[in-house]
Amino acid sequence: MDISDVVGFARLVVLAMVPYTLAAQGTMLAGRTGVFNVAQEGIMLLGASVGFLGAYLFDGLGYGLLLAMIAGGLFGLALSYFTTTLKLDQFVIGLALFFIGLALSTLLYKLFVGVTLEPPIIPTLQRVSVPLLGGLPLLGPILFQHNWMVYASILLSALLYYFLYHTGAGLELRAVGENPKAADSLGVNVAWQRHLASMIGGMLIGLAGAYLPMVYTGAFTAGIARGRGWIAIALAFFGGWTPHWILVGSLFFAAVEVLSLRVQIGDLGLPHQLLRTLPYLATMALMTFAFRGAKQPRFLGLNYDRESRTSR
Amino acid sequence: MADQAVTLQAGAGVRQLRDRLLPYLIAVAAAFAVVGVVIGVMGFNVPRAFTTILFTSFRSPNGLAQTLSKFVPLLLQALAFTLPLAAGKFNIGGEGQLIVGGTAAAAVGILFPDLPQPVLLPLALLAGMIAGALWMLGPAWLLYRFRINEILTTVLMNFVAFELINFASTEIWPDPAAGHPTTVPIGAGAHMPMLLQQPPLHSGLLLALLIAAGAYFFMGRTTFGYELVVTGANPRAARVHGINVRALFFASLLVGGVLAGLSGAIEVTGNYHRLIEGLQSNFLLLGIIIGLIARGNHLALPFVAFFIAVLDVGASALQRTLAIPSEMVFIVMGLILIFVLLSDVIQRRR
Amino acid sequence: MAQPALVELKGIQKSFGQVVALGGVDLGLAPREIHGLLGGNGAGKTTLMNVLYGLYRPDAGEIRVRGRPVEIGSPSDAITHGIGMVHQHFLQIGDFSVTQNIVLGTALREFPVLRLDAARRRIAELSGRFGLEVDPKASVEELPMGVRQRVEILKALYRGVDILILDEPTTNLTPQEVDRLFDSLRAMVDQGMSVVFITHKLREVMKVCDRVSVLRDGQHILTAPIGEADEGTLVAGMVGEQVDLRESLLFSGTDLESAPATDESPCLEVTGLSVPGEGGVLAVQEASFQVWPGEILGFAGVAGNGQRELVEALLNIREAAAGRVLLAGEDIRGWSTNAILSHGVAYIPEDRVSDGYLPTVTVAHNLILGSQRSQPYARRGVLAWDHIHRGAAGLIETYNIQTQGPGDLAAYLSGGNVQRLMIARAFSGGGQLLLAHNLTSGLDIPSVESVYDRLLARRAAGLSAVLLSDDLDELLLLCDRIAVLYRGSIAGTLKRPDFDRYQLGRLMSGAIAHG
Repeated sequence: MDISDVVGFARLVVLAMVPYTLAAQGTMLAGRTGVFNVAQEGIMLLGASVGFLGAYLFDGLGYGLLLAMIAGGLFGLALSYFTTTLKLDQFVIGLALFFIGLALSTLLYKLFVGVTLEPPIIPTLQRVSVPLLGGLPLLGPILFQHNWMVYASILLSALLYYFLYHTGAGLELRAVGENPKAADSLGVNVAWQRHLASMIGGMLIGLAGAYLPMVYTGAFTAGIARGRGWIAIALAFFGGWTPHWILVGSLFFAAVEVLSLRVQIGDLGLPHQLLRTLPYLATMALMTFAFRGAKQPRFLGLNYDRESRTSR
Repeated sequence: MADQAVTLQAGAGVRQLRDRLLPYLIAVAAAFAVVGVVIGVMGFNVPRAFTTILFTSFRSPNGLAQTLSKFVPLLLQALAFTLPLAAGKFNIGGEGQLIVGGTAAAAVGILFPDLPQPVLLPLALLAGMIAGALWMLGPAWLLYRFRINEILTTVLMNFVAFELINFASTEIWPDPAAGHPTTVPIGAGAHMPMLLQQPPLHSGLLLALLIAAGAYFFMGRTTFGYELVVTGANPRAARVHGINVRALFFASLLVGGVLAGLSGAIEVTGNYHRLIEGLQSNFLLLGIIIGLIARGNHLALPFVAFFIAVLDVGASALQRTLAIPSEMVFIVMGLILIFVLLSDVIQRRR
Repeated sequence: MAQPALVELKGIQKSFGQVVALGGVDLGLAPREIHGLLGGNGAGKTTLMNVLYGLYRPDAGEIRVRGRPVEIGSPSDAITHGIGMVHQHFLQIGDFSVTQNIVLGTALREFPVLRLDAARRRIAELSGRFGLEVDPKASVEELPMGVRQRVEILKALYRGVDILILDEPTTNLTPQEVDRLFDSLRAMVDQGMSVVFITHKLREVMKVCDRVSVLRDGQHILTAPIGEADEGTLVAGMVGEQVDLRESLLFSGTDLESAPATDESPCLEVTGLSVPGEGGVLAVQEASFQVWPGEILGFAGVAGNGQRELVEALLNIREAAAGRVLLAGEDIRGWSTNAILSHGVAYIPEDRVSDGYLPTVTVAHNLILGSQRSQPYARRGVLAWDHIHRGAAGLIETYNIQTQGPGDLAAYLSGGNVQRLMIARAFSGGGQLLLAHNLTSGLDIPSVESVYDRLLARRAAGLSAVLLSDDLDELLLLCDRIAVLYRGSIAGTLKRPDFDRYQLGRLMSGAIAHG
């Protein structure tokens, strides 16, 4: 193993981190207001399907990404509407949306593409090198010679950090997830915050899904998400619901994923099926360690009713 | 809770039954209406689509047998979901547990093919149940010891199970003649006795119905069922009043694992007589939908499960005969759930 | 007083489902006054002020502020009109600092980074002006109750309100802190503000208010200036015909006799009990006490000084770090909660919403909670629903729980009725020892009397009780001895002949340690 192998591996990891980052940040944003989204896998698959179809039918990746964001945003809004406004249980609605998103993703593909001998392909995202930084030895190829979505996810994480901890709007948003009654009593519009955060969160998750067909093969397949949506939930917990640790954690999960897919069977004498279980087992192991000290928004998963006499 | 409400409000007359059935019927009608509009707009023949979806199961003995065959794992998967749900825990690992249950049953059937049926079959089923419980052990223990959310852990185990079945059917006992990852057949002693030969209908049906009846009695009339329901209603209050909540969570999840494992064992011993990749089909998802639609009412559960089985059979027929993607029917199911939940909201407002 | 009213509430009606909380109430608030809003639980005082503050929408009625009719649809509207509210249970975000809690909801437009320097300065200025010292940078969850209350008040003052509503503000204060609060209120009024002071304590009203209005059962009974109000009239206004004042424990002023001394061994003996709390700190430190048969032992103390941890450790809901607990002579360390409860202990938890009841199931389910394994409700694991139904119906009748029946959903019960349910459950279980935390929280005056009667009847029958309460008056009324918890230790214990409010207050605030 020489240096170019390491660089190659690191490049793949950065490339693979994007869907984890986006989906987990989306989960985090909604979670910070108390909306616990468990529909990620369905929304990601829907985003992948819609993203692919948009790019394919309208001949441009941008269209696909836009449509995926809209689809994800709608699901996020649906989640918060049914739970915040209609006061239904968040897990039940999340599972229902997961189911519907899953069905829709295959449905739409079948309707617009149908059964073909050769599956249609869209072009993959272009590599864009950052001026100056792209030329650096080692760091250059690893971090600064990627498609623009990689840069966007890193910048997004930074932006979210700044927003949550250094702005008034971020303070309000965090308050809603910690003590919605307190926030409400001070004039913060709890419902609005939840709708907005859940919608934007959904948009990010949809975007994460759309990334998948656009980065490796250019094709959409039924199980393309492979559990990343679920892992994003664990990632949000592992990151303590903070944008910076989520970014770090997503690198870890990306590394495990790359390992499980790229390591040759011959090298280790282990069945490839076992290697493919690595991301999932690693997630569970990580959750065990992370959960001990992890902080989560106090009202995560709980609905708030101003006039309720049975809520906290 | 719904079960016990039934027993408490003794003397539920016909009118009460109608009052409770009505929201479900309206939800079904509304869901079909919405999807009907969509497929109509797309240019398909709506009445034909509806009749295909709803009546394919009843048009031939084969259709009915197929529906009942699906009904068995759907009912068990739904129970595997609803029993932990009563205590407030979400078992999303039904398909992983089904897979390992089927794998264990297949293993027994393949390794001891010459044992007589009265020995081999129960052994295979037992192996399936134990395997399902073991597959649940990790998530249940993580919940018990570290309070880690079981939604994630059970789901992750599904993905691990996919690799396991692939390994078992391509490396351990592969059937070289098959074009798809499949194992060699299990011994005849592990076959489920058939209720009917033509069309084929195995006795797993009886077993499933028995278990469903048992679940209804258990949930509505035993102390343990009470403690489950109460724990689901407010775990903290239950704890404070002496109920061992953590043990209950653990036990309820294990029971879910057992039932899901059994569903896999039945599929292998009753349906395929071998382990075949993909045998989990869409049972988990449909099982969850059934569980959510039935909402704690274990008397209604078998009926909802049968209805969903009918729809599932109708979905494949829809795609085959009218070239409408079968997912349309899943959208119908999802909408039924949403509308049923909405009817709750409307009733609350009154 | 011929001054034009600052705030006028006219004909305010509010119902929650079938329950009428306010049946057309009028209230007027004059400028520069402290106006007491007096009544028992369920009288509608908090509901009325929640309407004024925009947390509830009234079903009918009019609100006028400074002479003009207004619509108050949310707390923001109320704040715009200069109305602020300090709730009984503080609405604060533990993780945030004092400053962050105070500025939340105001326009925070600092760009690019939120620094809050100006806010901190303003808070310091307000602190000084009204005698409400706080450290703007401190994290709220580390502050004691009295300081947290100052933060609540500053939240309103920061927004420039000149009408301040305080809902039972003295609940979590020692008698000394109460005096300080009253001084601050006077300072506010002197500087031009008006205050509405919600309370059920006549004594406080007489001490600090200029005028008082009495509510009962959602109706306005009377309003009078303090100088002209006679205590007897006010009390009669609060309780109406339901309670015979001469027989009343609360109002007749007669003093109970102490339980007679007994030779029997204690029914509960606790030695050196230490219980861990949040963040590795001991919430209870080496507490030792005994409870004798036929005795009522009270635990006084400001909330958050280890009361909850103490009770939960006794029942093994929370693991004790050290100590020995003997229940009727038996060492119960390591026993399961169920075993302890079955051994003759009944428990009424403080937080009924989270610990006390199950809203999503029926009233019957709630009533048998804890007894679900014993006869006649269950035999060999199978429930006997007819027995359960009958038993539940009986309890509903005896304890006056307002509900449609045992099969009714518990979520429809009002707070007071949930309390009655918990009391019914605890008192009917037949135990030697009752552990009750805030026994009469949420109950109206007649119910309080009824519960006190039952409690004393138990005592007369030789059964014991440990009462933990925020309400010093309740403890002074009922207990044979009162122990004071301060920072998890028993700061001192007083016997009935030696009961003294201010002495207890000193113990409650840690001013002295009494052997």
